Amino acid sequence: MMPTLALKNVNKTFGHGTNEVQVLTGVNFEAVAGEVSLVIGPSGSGKSTFLTIAGGIQTPTSGEVLVEDRSLLALSGKARDAFRLNQIGFILQAYNLVPYLTVADQFTLVDRVKKQGNLSTTELATLLEQLGIAELTQQYPGELSGGQTQRVAIARALYQNPEIILADEPTAALDSDRVKVVGSLLHDLAKQHHKAIVVVTHDLRLQEFADKTYKIMDGRMTLS
Amino acid sequence: MFLALREIRHEKLRYGLIVGMIVLVTYLVFVLSGLAYGLAQQNTQALDTWDASKIALNSDANDSLSQSLITKQTTDKLSLTKHEAYVGQAGVVAKAKGQAKLSAQFLGIQKNQFIYHRLTTIAGHKPTTNHQILVDDSFKDNGYRLGDKVTLNSLTGKYQIVGFTHNAKLSVAPVVYGTLPTWRSLSHVTPTYQAGGIVSDRSTFKGAESSLRTLSLSQFINKLPGYSAQNMTFSFMIGFLMIIAMVVIAVFLYILTMQKLPNYAVLRAQGIPAKVLVTTTITQALLLVVGGLLIGAGLTALTVSVLPFGVPLAFNVPLLVGVTGGILLTGVIGALIPVRIILRVDPVSVIGG
Repeated sequence: MMPTLALKNVNKTFGHGTNEVQVLTGVNFEAVAGEVSLVIGPSGSGKSTFLTIAGGIQTPTSGEVLVEDRSLLALSGKARDAFRLNQIGFILQAYNLVPYLTVADQFTLVDRVKKQGNLSTTELATLLEQLGIAELTQQYPGELSGGQTQRVAIARALYQNPEIILADEPTAALDSDRVKVVGSLLHDLAKQHHKAIVVVTHDLRLQEFADKTYKIMDGRMTLS
Repeated sequence: MFLALREIRHEKLRYGLIVGMIVLVTYLVFVLSGLAYGLAQQNTQALDTWDASKIALNSDANDSLSQSLITKQTTDKLSLTKHEAYVGQAGVVAKAKGQAKLSAQFLGIQKNQFIYHRLTTIAGHKPTTNHQILVDDSFKDNGYRLGDKVTLNSLTGKYQIVGFTHNAKLSVAPVVYGTLPTWRSLSHVTPTYQAGGIVSDRSTFKGAESSLRTLSLSQFINKLPGYSAQNMTFSFMIGFLMIIAMVVIAVFLYILTMQKLPNYAVLRAQGIPAKVLVTTTITQALLLVVGGLLIGAGLTALTVSVLPFGVPLAFNVPLLVGVTGGILLTGVIGALIPVRIILRVDPVSVIGG
Protein backbone atom coordinates (compact mmCIF):
# COMPACT_ATOMS: atom_id res chain seq x y z
CA MET A 1 0.00 0.00 0.00
CA MET A 2 1.30 3.48 -0.92
CA PRO A 3 2.06 5.46 2.22
CA THR A 4 0.07 8.67 2.69
CA LEU A 5 3.09 10.36 4.27
CA ALA A 6 6.67 9.25 3.91
CA LEU A 7 10.01 10.65 5.05
CA LYS A 8 12.99 9.20 3.25
CA ASN A 9 16.50 9.48 4.66
CA VAL A 10 15.70 12.86 6.21
CA ASN A 11 18.49 14.77 7.92
CA LYS A 12 18.16 18.07 9.73
CA THR A 13 21.03 20.16 10.95
CA PHE A 14 20.86 23.44 12.85
CA GLY A 15 23.73 25.94 13.12
CA HIS A 16 27.10 26.00 11.40
CA GLY A 17 30.68 24.97 12.12
CA THR A 18 31.32 24.26 15.78
CA ASN A 19 27.69 25.20 16.62
CA GLU A 20 26.29 22.61 14.22
CA VAL A 21 23.76 20.25 15.76
CA GLN A 22 22.43 17.22 13.94
CA VAL A 23 18.81 16.95 15.10
CA LEU A 24 17.60 14.25 12.73
CA THR A 25 19.80 11.59 11.18
CA GLY A 26 18.66 9.41 8.31
CA VAL A 27 15.02 9.30 9.37
CA ASN A 28 12.79 6.96 7.43
CA PHE A 29 9.12 6.99 8.27
CA GLU A 30 5.86 5.92 6.73
CA ALA A 31 2.27 6.71 7.76
CA VAL A 32 -0.50 4.84 6.03
CA ALA A 33 -4.17 5.82 5.76
CA GLY A 34 -6.21 3.88 8.29
CA GLU A 35 -3.39 3.60 10.80
CA VAL A 36 -2.23 5.38 13.92
CA SER A 37 1.55 5.79 13.96
CA LEU A 38 3.07 6.66 17.28
CA VAL A 39 6.46 8.39 17.55
CA ILE A 40 7.75 8.06 21.08
CA GLY A 41 10.80 9.78 22.41
CA PRO A 42 12.04 11.89 25.29
CA SER A 43 12.40 15.67 25.23
CA GLY A 44 15.17 16.79 22.89
CA SER A 45 15.09 13.57 20.89
CA GLY A 46 14.05 15.43 17.70
CA LYS A 47 10.38 14.47 17.61
CA SER A 48 9.11 18.06 17.28
CA THR A 49 11.54 18.72 14.43
CA PHE A 50 10.31 15.52 12.82
CA LEU A 51 6.72 16.74 13.18
CA THR A 52 7.42 20.19 11.65
CA ILE A 53 9.21 18.60 8.71
CA ALA A 54 6.41 16.05 8.21
CA GLY A 55 3.89 18.91 8.27
CA GLY A 56 5.75 21.06 5.76
CA ILE A 57 6.54 23.80 8.27
CA GLN A 58 10.27 23.18 8.11
CA THR A 59 12.42 21.82 5.32
CA PRO A 60 15.01 19.11 5.96
CA THR A 61 18.70 19.68 5.29
CA SER A 62 18.57 16.62 3.05
CA GLY A 63 16.18 13.82 2.27
CA GLU A 64 12.66 13.72 0.91
CA VAL A 65 9.15 14.22 2.26
CA LEU A 66 6.43 12.62 0.17
CA VAL A 67 2.69 13.03 0.50
CA GLU A 68 0.88 10.45 -1.59
CA ASP A 69 4.10 10.08 -3.54
CA ARG A 70 4.37 13.79 -4.34
CA SER A 71 7.32 15.76 -3.03
CA LEU A 72 6.31 18.28 -0.37
CA LEU A 73 9.64 20.06 -0.73
CA ALA A 74 8.90 20.94 -4.35
CA LEU A 75 5.93 23.06 -3.29
CA SER A 76 6.14 26.84 -2.98
CA GLY A 77 5.47 28.55 0.36
CA LYS A 78 1.88 29.35 -0.62
CA ALA A 79 1.27 25.85 -1.90
CA ARG A 80 2.62 24.45 1.36
CA ASP A 81 0.19 26.74 3.29
CA ALA A 82 -2.64 25.34 1.18
CA PHE A 83 -1.36 21.82 1.74
CA ARG A 84 -1.40 22.30 5.52
CA LEU A 85 -4.83 23.86 5.38
CA ASN A 86 -6.38 21.16 3.20
CA GLN A 87 -4.53 17.97 4.05
CA ILE A 88 -3.07 18.30 7.51
CA GLY A 89 -4.76 18.64 10.85
CA PHE A 90 -2.41 19.80 13.56
CA ILE A 91 -3.10 19.05 17.18
CA LEU A 92 -0.53 21.17 18.95
CA GLN A 93 0.86 21.11 22.44
CA ALA A 94 0.32 24.89 22.60
CA TYR A 95 -3.30 24.25 21.57
CA ASN A 96 -4.63 25.48 18.28
CA LEU A 97 -7.25 27.80 19.67
CA VAL A 98 -7.66 31.52 19.15
CA PRO A 99 -8.34 33.02 22.61
CA TYR A 100 -10.90 35.58 21.45
CA LEU A 101 -13.08 33.12 19.53
CA THR A 102 -15.76 31.00 21.16
CA VAL A 103 -15.54 27.26 20.59
CA ALA A 104 -18.18 27.58 17.85
CA ASP A 105 -16.26 30.43 16.22
CA GLN A 106 -13.06 28.32 16.13
CA PHE A 107 -14.87 26.17 13.54
CA THR A 108 -16.35 29.20 11.76
CA LEU A 109 -12.80 30.48 11.26
CA VAL A 110 -11.92 27.24 9.47
CA ASP A 111 -15.03 27.64 7.28
CA ARG A 112 -13.91 31.16 6.36
CA VAL A 113 -10.51 30.09 5.05
CA LYS A 114 -11.35 26.59 3.85
CA LYS A 115 -14.67 26.73 2.10
CA GLN A 116 -15.07 23.05 1.24
CA GLY A 117 -14.33 19.65 2.66
CA ASN A 118 -14.90 20.44 6.33
CA LEU A 119 -17.12 18.30 8.56
CA SER A 120 -20.87 18.80 8.20
CA THR A 121 -22.89 20.29 11.06
CA THR A 122 -24.10 16.81 12.04
CA GLU A 123 -20.61 15.32 11.90
CA LEU A 124 -19.28 18.20 14.01
CA ALA A 125 -22.07 17.71 16.57
CA THR A 126 -21.23 14.00 16.80
CA LEU A 127 -17.54 14.77 17.19
CA LEU A 128 -18.19 17.32 19.96
CA GLU A 129 -20.47 14.81 21.67
CA GLN A 130 -17.80 12.09 21.43
CA LEU A 131 -15.25 14.43 22.99
CA GLY A 132 -17.66 15.56 25.71
CA ILE A 133 -17.53 19.22 24.76
CA ALA A 134 -20.93 19.66 23.08
CA GLU A 135 -22.07 22.01 25.84
CA LEU A 136 -19.07 24.28 25.53
CA THR A 137 -19.68 25.85 22.12
CA GLN A 138 -20.32 29.36 23.45
CA GLN A 139 -17.34 29.34 25.83
CA TYR A 140 -14.05 31.10 25.20
CA PRO A 141 -10.82 29.07 25.56
CA GLY A 142 -9.98 31.09 28.68
CA GLU A 143 -13.12 29.72 30.33
CA LEU A 144 -12.17 26.07 29.70
CA SER A 145 -10.10 23.71 31.80
CA GLY A 146 -6.83 22.35 30.40
CA GLY A 147 -8.48 19.07 29.42
CA GLN A 148 -11.46 20.77 27.79
CA THR A 149 -9.12 23.07 25.85
CA GLN A 150 -7.15 20.11 24.61
CA ARG A 151 -10.31 18.34 23.44
CA VAL A 152 -11.56 21.46 21.65
CA ALA A 153 -8.15 21.74 20.00
CA ILE A 154 -8.48 18.14 18.82
CA ALA A 155 -11.98 18.83 17.46
CA ARG A 156 -10.66 21.97 15.76
CA ALA A 157 -7.95 19.95 13.97
CA LEU A 158 -10.36 17.19 12.96
CA TYR A 159 -12.97 19.65 11.71
CA GLN A 160 -10.86 20.38 8.61
CA ASN A 161 -11.34 16.70 7.75
CA PRO A 162 -7.67 16.31 6.82
CA GLU A 163 -6.13 13.19 5.33
CA ILE A 164 -3.21 13.36 7.71
CA ILE A 165 -3.39 14.28 11.37
CA LEU A 166 -0.19 15.30 13.10
CA ALA A 167 -0.56 15.46 16.84
CA ASP A 168 2.03 16.92 19.20
CA GLU A 169 1.50 15.51 22.71
CA PRO A 170 -2.32 15.45 22.34
CA THR A 171 -2.86 13.90 25.77
CA ALA A 172 -0.42 15.99 27.77
CA ALA A 173 -3.14 17.65 29.87
CA LEU A 174 -5.56 14.74 30.11
CA ASP A 175 -6.35 12.21 32.81
CA SER A 176 -6.35 8.49 32.05
CA ASP A 177 -10.06 8.35 31.19
CA ARG A 178 -9.73 11.21 28.73
CA VAL A 179 -6.58 9.65 27.27
CA LYS A 180 -8.68 6.60 26.47
CA VAL A 181 -11.36 8.79 24.85
CA VAL A 182 -8.81 10.65 22.73
CA GLY A 183 -6.87 7.48 21.93
CA SER A 184 -10.04 5.69 20.84
CA LEU A 185 -11.15 8.69 18.83
CA LEU A 186 -7.84 8.85 16.96
CA HIS A 187 -7.97 5.11 16.43
CA ASP A 188 -11.59 5.24 15.16
CA LEU A 189 -10.78 8.17 12.89
CA ALA A 190 -7.97 6.20 11.35
CA LYS A 191 -10.10 3.12 10.85
CA GLN A 192 -13.51 4.53 10.01
CA HIS A 193 -12.47 7.64 8.10
CA HIS A 194 -9.30 6.27 6.61
CA LYS A 195 -6.97 8.91 8.06
CA ALA A 196 -3.23 8.66 8.48
CA ILE A 197 -2.60 9.67 12.07
CA VAL A 198 0.83 10.48 13.43
CA VAL A 199 1.14 11.10 17.16
CA VAL A 200 4.36 12.44 18.62
CA THR A 201 4.36 11.83 22.36
CA HIS A 202 6.13 10.52 25.37
CA ASP A 203 2.79 9.30 26.79
CA LEU A 204 3.08 5.51 26.74
CA ARG A 205 -0.65 5.21 27.57
CA LEU A 206 -1.35 5.85 23.89
CA GLN A 207 0.58 2.78 22.73
CA GLU A 208 -2.48 0.51 23.00
CA PHE A 209 -4.22 2.59 20.29
CA ALA A 210 -1.30 2.59 17.83
CA ASP A 211 -0.91 0.33 14.82
CA LYS A 212 2.81 0.88 14.80
CA THR A 213 5.25 2.61 17.06
CA TYR A 214 8.45 4.38 16.12
CA LYS A 215 11.04 5.24 18.70
CA ILE A 216 13.18 8.30 18.31
CA MET A 217 16.37 8.90 20.26
CA ASP A 218 19.09 11.45 19.50
CA GLY A 219 17.57 12.11 16.09
CA ARG A 220 17.55 8.46 15.00
CA MET A 221 14.24 6.75 14.40
CA THR A 222 13.54 3.05 14.62
CA LEU A 223 10.39 1.06 14.06
CA SER A 224 9.69 -1.07 17.08
CA MET B 1 -13.04 41.11 9.20
CA PHE B 2 -14.28 38.05 11.13
CA LEU B 3 -11.19 37.75 13.32
CA ALA B 4 -10.88 41.53 13.66
CA LEU B 5 -14.46 42.02 14.84
CA ARG B 6 -14.45 39.01 17.15
CA GLU B 7 -11.25 40.16 18.82
CA ILE B 8 -12.55 43.69 19.36
CA ARG B 9 -15.79 42.28 20.80
CA HIS B 10 -13.91 40.03 23.18
CA GLU B 11 -11.24 42.52 24.25
CA LYS B 12 -13.57 45.44 24.91
CA LEU B 13 -11.44 47.26 27.46
CA ARG B 14 -8.21 46.97 25.51
CA TYR B 15 -9.73 48.14 22.24
CA GLY B 16 -11.94 50.65 24.05
CA LEU B 17 -8.79 52.33 25.31
CA ILE B 18 -7.32 52.47 21.81
CA VAL B 19 -10.55 53.86 20.37
CA GLY B 20 -10.67 56.35 23.25
CA MET B 21 -7.21 57.54 22.37
CA ILE B 22 -8.13 57.84 18.68
CA VAL B 23 -11.31 59.72 19.67
CA LEU B 24 -9.28 62.26 21.62
CA VAL B 25 -6.76 62.75 18.82
CA THR B 26 -9.57 62.99 16.25
CA TYR B 27 -11.51 65.42 18.41
CA LEU B 28 -8.45 67.60 18.84
CA VAL B 29 -7.67 67.52 15.12
CA PHE B 30 -11.29 68.34 14.20
CA VAL B 31 -11.54 71.20 16.69
CA LEU B 32 -8.14 72.61 15.69
CA SER B 33 -9.03 72.33 12.00
CA GLY B 34 -12.36 74.03 12.70
CA LEU B 35 -10.64 76.80 14.61
CA ALA B 36 -8.01 77.22 11.89
CA TYR B 37 -10.67 77.39 9.21
CA GLY B 38 -12.95 79.59 11.31
CA LEU B 39 -10.18 82.05 12.05
CA ALA B 40 -9.00 82.03 8.44
CA GLN B 41 -12.57 82.73 7.36
CA GLN B 42 -12.91 85.61 9.78
CA ASN B 43 -9.81 87.13 8.26
CA THR B 44 -11.24 87.10 4.79
CA GLN B 45 -15.03 86.70 4.94
CA ALA B 46 -15.73 90.19 3.65
CA LEU B 47 -13.29 89.77 0.76
CA ASP B 48 -14.84 86.42 -0.16
CA THR B 49 -18.28 88.00 -0.64
CA TRP B 50 -16.85 90.41 -3.21
CA ASP B 51 -15.71 87.52 -5.43
CA ALA B 52 -12.75 89.62 -6.57
CA SER B 53 -9.55 88.50 -8.29
CA LYS B 54 -7.12 91.41 -8.07
CA ILE B 55 -6.38 94.41 -5.93
CA ALA B 56 -4.18 97.40 -6.77
CA LEU B 57 -2.59 99.28 -3.87
CA ASN B 58 -0.11 102.08 -3.47
CA SER B 59 3.29 100.51 -4.10
CA ASP B 60 4.62 102.03 -0.86
CA ALA B 61 1.81 100.55 1.26
CA ASN B 62 3.58 97.23 1.88
CA ASP B 63 0.57 95.39 0.39
CA SER B 64 -1.69 96.67 3.19
CA LEU B 65 -5.04 98.16 2.24
CA SER B 66 -5.29 100.16 5.45
CA GLN B 67 -1.92 101.79 4.71
CA SER B 68 -2.62 102.43 1.04
CA LEU B 69 -3.71 105.75 -0.44
CA ILE B 70 -4.38 106.27 -4.14
CA THR B 71 -4.75 109.82 -5.48
CA LYS B 72 -7.41 110.98 -7.92
CA GLN B 73 -4.55 111.96 -10.22
CA THR B 74 -3.56 108.30 -10.40
CA THR B 75 -7.07 106.90 -10.85
CA ASP B 76 -7.81 109.43 -13.59
CA LYS B 77 -5.05 107.87 -15.67
CA LEU B 78 -6.59 104.41 -15.36
CA SER B 79 -9.38 103.24 -17.57
CA LEU B 80 -11.57 101.50 -14.99
CA THR B 81 -14.61 99.48 -15.96
CA LYS B 82 -17.64 98.13 -14.15
CA HIS B 83 -15.36 95.27 -13.07
CA GLU B 84 -13.36 97.58 -10.82
CA ALA B 85 -14.34 99.19 -7.53
CA TYR B 86 -12.72 101.63 -5.11
CA VAL B 87 -12.28 100.66 -1.52
CA GLY B 88 -10.76 102.33 1.51
CA GLN B 89 -10.03 100.63 4.84
CA ALA B 90 -9.68 102.16 8.28
CA GLY B 91 -9.66 100.60 11.72
CA VAL B 92 -12.44 102.08 13.89
CA VAL B 93 -13.98 101.80 17.31
CA ALA B 94 -17.76 101.96 17.04
CA LYS B 95 -19.92 103.11 19.93
CA ALA B 96 -23.63 103.67 20.29
CA LYS B 97 -25.36 105.07 23.31
CA GLY B 98 -25.93 102.35 25.87
CA GLN B 99 -23.91 99.80 23.88
CA ALA B 100 -20.41 98.42 24.33
CA LYS B 101 -17.59 99.71 22.17
CA LEU B 102 -16.76 97.46 19.25
CA SER B 103 -13.51 97.37 17.33
CA ALA B 104 -14.23 97.08 13.64
CA GLN B 105 -12.85 97.60 10.16
CA PHE B 106 -14.46 100.42 8.21
CA LEU B 107 -14.61 99.84 4.47
CA GLY B 108 -15.50 102.78 2.34
CA ILE B 109 -17.07 101.80 -0.98
CA GLN B 110 -18.78 103.54 -3.86
CA LYS B 111 -22.49 103.09 -4.46
CA ASN B 112 -22.37 102.52 -8.22
CA GLN B 113 -19.58 99.90 -8.15
CA PHE B 114 -19.59 96.09 -8.02
CA ILE B 115 -18.67 95.66 -4.34
CA TYR B 116 -21.73 97.66 -3.36
CA HIS B 117 -23.89 95.66 -5.74
CA ARG B 118 -22.63 92.34 -4.37
CA LEU B 119 -23.35 93.18 -0.75
CA THR B 120 -26.37 91.43 0.64
CA THR B 121 -28.40 92.49 3.64
CA ILE B 122 -30.10 90.28 6.20
CA ALA B 123 -32.01 93.27 7.60
CA GLY B 124 -32.49 96.88 6.49
CA HIS B 125 -30.83 98.24 3.38
CA LYS B 126 -27.48 99.33 1.99
CA PRO B 127 -26.20 102.82 2.86
CA THR B 128 -27.24 105.54 0.45
CA THR B 129 -25.77 108.62 2.16
CA ASN B 130 -22.52 109.48 3.91
CA HIS B 131 -24.06 109.11 7.37
CA GLN B 132 -25.45 105.66 6.84
CA ILE B 133 -23.61 102.41 7.51
CA LEU B 134 -24.19 98.72 6.86
CA VAL B 135 -22.64 96.55 9.56
CA ASP B 136 -21.77 92.91 10.13
CA ASP B 137 -24.42 90.97 12.04
CA SER B 138 -22.06 90.51 14.98
CA PHE B 139 -23.07 94.10 15.86
CA LYS B 140 -26.60 92.78 16.21
CA ASP B 141 -25.37 89.97 18.45
CA ASN B 142 -23.73 92.64 20.61
CA GLY B 143 -27.00 94.50 21.11
CA TYR B 144 -26.87 97.01 18.28
CA ARG B 145 -30.15 97.62 16.44
CA LEU B 146 -31.25 99.08 13.14
CA GLY B 147 -31.48 102.84 13.46
CA ASP B 148 -28.83 103.05 16.20
CA LYS B 149 -26.66 106.13 15.84
CA VAL B 150 -23.01 105.19 16.08
CA THR B 151 -19.87 107.26 16.59
CA LEU B 152 -16.74 106.10 14.80
CA ASN B 153 -13.44 106.87 16.54
CA SER B 154 -13.38 110.45 17.67
CA LEU B 155 -15.33 111.84 14.73
CA THR B 156 -18.06 114.17 15.84
CA GLY B 157 -20.60 112.92 13.32
CA LYS B 158 -23.06 110.12 14.01
CA TYR B 159 -23.60 107.25 11.60
CA GLN B 160 -26.89 105.44 11.47
CA ILE B 161 -27.02 101.66 11.14
CA VAL B 162 -29.37 101.15 8.19
CA GLY B 163 -28.66 97.50 7.54
CA PHE B 164 -27.03 94.28 8.75
CA THR B 165 -25.06 91.97 6.54
CA HIS B 166 -23.90 88.39 7.20
CA ASN B 167 -20.33 87.09 7.11
CA ALA B 168 -18.63 90.45 6.84
CA LYS B 169 -15.39 90.20 8.74
CA LEU B 170 -11.91 91.36 7.87
CA SER B 171 -8.82 90.55 9.94
CA VAL B 172 -11.14 88.89 12.50
CA ALA B 173 -13.00 92.17 13.09
CA PRO B 174 -16.57 92.98 12.02
CA VAL B 175 -16.84 95.22 8.98
CA VAL B 176 -18.66 98.54 8.83
CA TYR B 177 -19.52 99.43 5.25
CA GLY B 178 -19.88 103.15 4.51
CA THR B 179 -18.98 105.61 1.84
CA LEU B 180 -15.59 106.75 0.59
CA PRO B 181 -16.06 110.32 1.95
CA THR B 182 -16.56 108.81 5.42
CA TRP B 183 -13.43 106.72 4.93
CA ARG B 184 -11.54 109.93 4.04
CA SER B 185 -12.76 111.54 7.27
CA LEU B 186 -11.72 108.50 9.30
CA SER B 187 -8.33 108.39 7.59
CA HIS B 188 -7.88 112.15 7.89
CA VAL B 189 -7.11 112.53 4.20
CA THR B 190 -8.24 115.17 1.78
CA PRO B 191 -10.53 114.54 -1.21
CA THR B 192 -7.43 114.46 -3.44
CA TYR B 193 -7.23 110.82 -2.39
CA GLN B 194 -9.73 108.68 -4.27
CA ALA B 195 -9.44 105.42 -2.30
CA GLY B 196 -7.09 103.04 -0.54
CA GLY B 197 -7.20 100.42 -3.24
CA ILE B 198 -8.83 99.35 -6.47
CA VAL B 199 -10.44 95.93 -6.45
CA SER B 200 -11.21 94.07 -9.68
CA ASP B 201 -13.09 90.87 -10.41
CA ARG B 202 -11.07 90.41 -13.60
CA SER B 203 -8.03 88.17 -13.32
CA THR B 204 -6.39 90.17 -16.12
CA PHE B 205 -6.67 93.49 -14.30
CA LYS B 206 -3.46 95.42 -13.73
CA GLY B 207 -3.19 98.90 -12.25
CA ALA B 208 -0.90 100.16 -14.98
CA GLU B 209 0.67 102.98 -13.00
CA SER B 210 4.13 103.05 -11.50
CA SER B 211 2.73 104.18 -8.15
CA LEU B 212 0.50 101.10 -7.98
CA ARG B 213 1.24 97.50 -7.21
CA THR B 214 -1.30 94.88 -8.31
CA LEU B 215 -1.73 91.69 -6.31
CA SER B 216 -3.93 88.67 -6.72
CA LEU B 217 -6.49 88.44 -3.93
CA SER B 218 -4.79 85.33 -2.51
CA GLN B 219 -1.46 87.23 -2.37
CA PHE B 220 -3.24 90.09 -0.65
CA ILE B 221 -4.92 87.72 1.86
CA ASN B 222 -1.62 86.07 2.68
CA LYS B 223 -0.23 89.50 3.49
CA LEU B 224 -3.03 90.27 5.94
CA PRO B 225 -1.44 90.83 9.36
CA GLY B 226 -0.95 87.52 11.16
CA TYR B 227 -2.88 85.50 8.57
CA SER B 228 -0.03 83.31 7.24
CA ALA B 229 1.60 82.88 10.64
CA GLN B 230 -1.71 81.83 12.17
CA ASN B 231 -2.48 79.33 9.39
CA MET B 232 1.03 77.94 9.49
CA THR B 233 0.79 77.48 13.27
CA PHE B 234 -2.47 75.57 12.95
CA SER B 235 -1.14 73.50 10.03
CA PHE B 236 1.90 72.49 12.08
CA MET B 237 -0.26 71.62 15.09
CA ILE B 238 -2.59 69.50 12.95
CA GLY B 239 0.35 67.90 11.12
CA PHE B 240 2.10 67.02 14.38
CA LEU B 241 -1.13 65.65 15.81
CA MET B 242 -1.52 63.43 12.75
CA ILE B 243 2.05 62.15 13.17
CA ILE B 244 1.47 61.57 16.89
CA ALA B 245 -1.76 59.72 16.06
CA MET B 246 0.11 57.53 13.59
CA VAL B 247 2.91 56.76 16.07
CA VAL B 248 0.46 55.98 18.88
CA ILE B 249 -1.71 53.75 16.66
CA ALA B 250 1.41 52.02 15.34
CA VAL B 251 2.77 51.47 18.88
CA PHE B 252 -0.56 50.08 20.08
CA LEU B 253 -0.89 47.77 17.08
CA TYR B 254 2.74 46.71 17.43
CA ILE B 255 2.21 45.74 21.07
CA LEU B 256 -1.07 43.98 20.26
CA THR B 257 0.53 42.14 17.34
CA MET B 258 3.46 41.04 19.49
CA GLN B 259 1.01 39.65 22.04
CA LYS B 260 -0.85 37.78 19.30
CA LEU B 261 2.21 36.23 17.65
CA PRO B 262 1.87 32.81 19.36
CA ASN B 263 -1.74 32.62 18.08
CA TYR B 264 -0.67 33.76 14.66
CA ALA B 265 2.08 31.14 14.68
CA VAL B 266 -0.49 28.43 15.45
CA LEU B 267 -2.76 29.70 12.69
CA ARG B 268 0.18 29.80 10.26
CA ALA B 269 1.09 26.24 11.25
CA GLN B 270 -2.47 25.23 10.40
CA GLY B 271 -2.07 26.75 6.99
CA ILE B 272 -4.03 29.97 7.50
CA PRO B 273 -2.45 32.23 4.86
CA ALA B 274 -0.40 35.18 6.12
CA LYS B 275 -2.64 37.34 3.89
CA VAL B 276 -5.62 36.57 6.15
CA LEU B 277 -3.68 37.66 9.24
CA VAL B 278 -2.37 40.82 7.56
CA THR B 279 -5.87 41.69 6.32
CA THR B 280 -7.17 41.12 9.84
CA THR B 281 -4.62 43.54 11.31
CA ILE B 282 -5.31 46.25 8.72
CA THR B 283 -9.09 45.77 8.97
CA GLN B 284 -8.85 45.99 12.72
CA ALA B 285 -6.87 49.23 12.50
CA LEU B 286 -9.40 50.66 10.07
CA LEU B 287 -12.32 49.65 12.30
CA LEU B 288 -10.65 51.27 15.30
CA VAL B 289 -9.81 54.44 13.40
CA VAL B 290 -13.25 54.69 11.76
CA GLY B 291 -14.91 54.10 15.14
CA GLY B 292 -12.67 56.74 16.72
CA LEU B 293 -13.38 59.13 13.86
CA LEU B 294 -17.15 58.74 14.16
CA ILE B 295 -17.15 59.24 17.92
CA GLY B 296 -14.66 62.12 17.57
CA ALA B 297 -16.88 63.74 14.94
CA GLY B 298 -19.93 63.31 17.18
CA LEU B 299 -18.05 64.84 20.10
CA THR B 300 -16.98 67.74 17.88
CA ALA B 301 -20.59 68.31 16.77
CA LEU B 302 -21.65 68.29 20.42
CA THR B 303 -18.92 70.78 21.27
CA VAL B 304 -19.97 73.07 18.43
CA SER B 305 -23.56 73.02 19.68
CA VAL B 306 -22.57 74.13 23.19
CA LEU B 307 -19.74 76.51 22.35
CA PRO B 308 -20.40 80.12 23.28
CA PHE B 309 -21.10 82.56 20.47
CA GLY B 310 -18.00 84.19 19.12
CA VAL B 311 -15.68 81.16 19.09
CA PRO B 312 -14.55 81.11 15.48
CA LEU B 313 -15.18 77.45 14.77
CA ALA B 314 -16.18 76.66 11.20
CA PHE B 315 -16.07 73.59 8.97
CA ASN B 316 -16.35 72.89 5.31
CA VAL B 317 -16.65 69.61 3.43
CA PRO B 318 -13.20 69.57 1.73
CA LEU B 319 -11.56 70.34 5.08
CA LEU B 320 -13.46 67.59 6.87
CA VAL B 321 -12.76 65.11 4.07
CA GLY B 322 -9.07 66.04 4.14
CA VAL B 323 -8.74 65.70 7.90
CA THR B 324 -10.74 62.45 7.97
CA GLY B 325 -8.70 61.03 5.09
CA GLY B 326 -5.48 62.08 6.83
CA ILE B 327 -6.40 60.30 10.06
CA LEU B 328 -7.51 57.18 8.16
CA LEU B 329 -4.26 57.19 6.22
CA THR B 330 -2.18 57.54 9.39
CA GLY B 331 -4.15 54.61 10.85
CA VAL B 332 -3.39 52.44 7.83
CA ILE B 333 0.29 53.42 7.87
CA GLY B 334 0.36 52.62 11.59
CA ALA B 335 -1.21 49.24 10.91
CA LEU B 336 1.26 48.44 8.13
CA ILE B 337 4.25 48.69 10.48
CA PRO B 338 3.62 45.34 12.28
CA VAL B 339 2.80 43.60 8.97
CA ARG B 340 6.44 42.63 8.51
CA ILE B 341 6.38 40.87 11.86
CA ILE B 342 3.24 38.95 10.89
CA LEU B 343 4.76 37.90 7.56
CA ARG B 344 7.84 36.60 9.36
CA VAL B 345 6.04 34.77 12.15
CA ASP B 346 7.56 31.32 12.58
CA PRO B 347 5.05 28.48 12.99
CA VAL B 348 7.86 26.26 14.26
CA SER B 349 7.89 28.31 17.47
CA VAL B 350 4.61 26.78 18.63
CA ILE B 351 5.69 23.17 18.15
CA GLY B 352 8.07 22.26 20.89
CA GLY B 353 9.01 19.65 23.40
